[in-house]
Amino acid sequence: MKLVSIVTGMIVGLAAADGPAVAQTLVPSPTLDAIKARGNLECGVHLGLPGFSFANDKGEWAGIDVDYCKALAAAVLGDATKVKFTPTSVQQRWPILQSGQVDLLSRNTTITFSRNASLGVNFQGINFYEGQTFIVRKSSKATTAKDLDGASICVAAGSTEEKNAADWFRERSLKVTITNFQKNDDAIAAYDAGRCDAYTAGVGALAGQRIKLKTPDDHLVMSDLISNDPQGPTTRYGDERWQGVVRWVLNGMIAAEALGVTSKNVDEMKANSKNSEVRRLLGAEGNFGQMLGLPNDWMYNAIKQVGNYGESYERTVGMESALKLQRGANQLWLKGGLLFTPPFQ
Amino acid sequence: MLGRLLFDRKIRDRLWQVAIGVGLTALVAFFVRNASENMVKAGIAAGFDFLWRNSGIDVPFVLTGYKSSDTLWALFWAGVANTLFVTVIAIVLASVLGFLIGLARLSTHWLLSSVAGAYVEFVRNIPLLFFVLFWYFGVIASLPQPNDSVGLFGAIFLNNRGLTIPYPLDGSGFRWAAAAIAASIMLMWAVVRWSTIRKLRTGADTPLLSIGIALCGVVPLLALFWAGRSTAWDMPLAGRFNLRGGTVLIPEFVALLMALVTYTAGFIAEIVRGGIAAVPSGQREAAAALGLRGGQILRFVVVPQAMRVIIPPMTSQYLNVLKNSSFGAVIAYPDVVSLFMGSALNNVGQAIEIIAMVLAVYLFFGLLVSALMNWFNTRMALVAQ
Repeated sequence: MKLVSIVTGMIVGLAAADGPAVAQTLVPSPTLDAIKARGNLECGVHLGLPGFSFANDKGEWAGIDVDYCKALAAAVLGDATKVKFTPTSVQQRWPILQSGQVDLLSRNTTITFSRNASLGVNFQGINFYEGQTFIVRKSSKATTAKDLDGASICVAAGSTEEKNAADWFRERSLKVTITNFQKNDDAIAAYDAGRCDAYTAGVGALAGQRIKLKTPDDHLVMSDLISNDPQGPTTRYGDERWQGVVRWVLNGMIAAEALGVTSKNVDEMKANSKNSEVRRLLGAEGNFGQMLGLPNDWMYNAIKQVGNYGESYERTVGMESALKLQRGANQLWLKGGLLFTPPFQ
Repeated sequence: MLGRLLFDRKIRDRLWQVAIGVGLTALVAFFVRNASENMVKAGIAAGFDFLWRNSGIDVPFVLTGYKSSDTLWALFWAGVANTLFVTVIAIVLASVLGFLIGLARLSTHWLLSSVAGAYVEFVRNIPLLFFVLFWYFGVIASLPQPNDSVGLFGAIFLNNRGLTIPYPLDGSGFRWAAAAIAASIMLMWAVVRWSTIRKLRTGADTPLLSIGIALCGVVPLLALFWAGRSTAWDMPLAGRFNLRGGTVLIPEFVALLMALVTYTAGFIAEIVRGGIAAVPSGQREAAAALGLRGGQILRFVVVPQAMRVIIPPMTSQYLNVLKNSSFGAVIAYPDVVSLFMGSALNNVGQAIEIIAMVLAVYLFFGLLVSALMNWFNTRMALVAQ
């Protein structure tokens, strides 16, 4: 009896390996199974940064990092609204991800070597090329970072900005006083109250924080950058298939923009496009979704419900938003930017 | 035989103790092993090697000479020093203020006692976090911007970046001055003891007041004056943003100190009032009948007996000050919680090690405060007998 079942199993296994029509045996993915079982995606976001992740007065989250999680939910569960957002502070983010309270982080977190090597986290690509700079009062007449000699600077404790700023000024023998607050919001509130001459964060983040100040027009975001801070979705070690899903949904959003697929033309593209990569991306050809254990229309759902990278960018931080950020480095490689994706082949 | 051993109460109790000890050790070992295994599985680094990494974190208020190019171990001690600094000063000031308010509550003067009573009731029913934020934003909002600094003698400046005072470029003179002051205080103590013995033996009075003014007033002033003359000074001057030069007492420190002092004083006042009220009124009456004056009654009869009631609850208030100083993290006072559990933890990510170290700091200094207060308590109890 036992022998029979083993032999049958072997035959079935062989057949599966053989025929491309039969679904392949997938590496187990506990995270993906858990998401499907509970029916929503648990996404760790920033406590509140306009343009990136910010909850409006109705409790609806919006922003470029939020959009990515919505697209991921659409790809995995077929519904972009099935996301539970967990706001995390600079300090909370790692334990919350490491302990499995969230499936991923999508929250303005800089990709660094030591985080990757010693925190047990993997970075799955870049959804925002950020660079650190300063916001100052226009009345101080400081226009570049070097003018800040002698200034007090507010930062969030434990951020990459805290160390970048200390290093940058030390290397140039400029003396500044850095005051470290527990939360970004505390630091920006202290800056607004006049405790500091400058607050430091990424250009994009500052564009968002500036809106929250009492009189935004009195403040200037400097244009020179003292660091490069690439940011993107972050997962914990283990569960490679889930890491693949996170990585390729981001790639899919970038590829969609490069291939000209938008939320408006996605139905038409899926039905009529002659471009094989478009057809593979949208599930009209091949079984790319199934290879990751997702429905075949995974990217179709993501683009239909959320949009491609460019649409998301313009809506959240670009010209259609209050932040009015240029694409800059966050432009496609085809148009002179840094945004790149491997092919869907 | 074995049965008889088991029924022997001493042996049975010993066995229970051994069993509980083994059980506890096993439990701790299990948790440590479990945590370290899971951390290895999750790819999180373990161990204390990170302490020798470069910190790269700038600290706005340093007592230990820490620089951002030092190690995380140095950062840890910079944080510990800041925690102890604010704790010690807050304990001293809160004791003084609390004692005064406690005495005011006992006053027969109606206005004084009801103001003190209202203060105590107000303080005891408000969360400490409120005090911390109130003082912080209160302090920052009420102080002027750097270009409108309030100056004193053109050397001391107050603005919303803190209190800037001149800084001696060569501190050796001040170290000698501190040694001289300590020596004169010890000399004063010896003189007081000698005068007591002399009074008991011969009945002669010693002019303690003038000796005290000379030893504890004139000598320290002369020493400080000499130390100030012997060094060049780094004077605060107006810069583009802030004052340049000098040394700064940051507003976060002042806000945290004020919050701890005003909050704890409310509790100490009640302890003092309770302690004094616990001394039976017959004691005062007996002292008065012996011909002691008001101040003498308080000093020789009431306070020594009240102290026995006051010291034990006071110990827990002092411990509270130590623990409550961690509220400084909320307003960016660079204490050990803010620096080590905030900045360093985020750079290193080794939560268990870092939190254990901070825990050990509070535990060690907490036990130290308890031990000192217990020693003081035994002394007071013996004196009163």
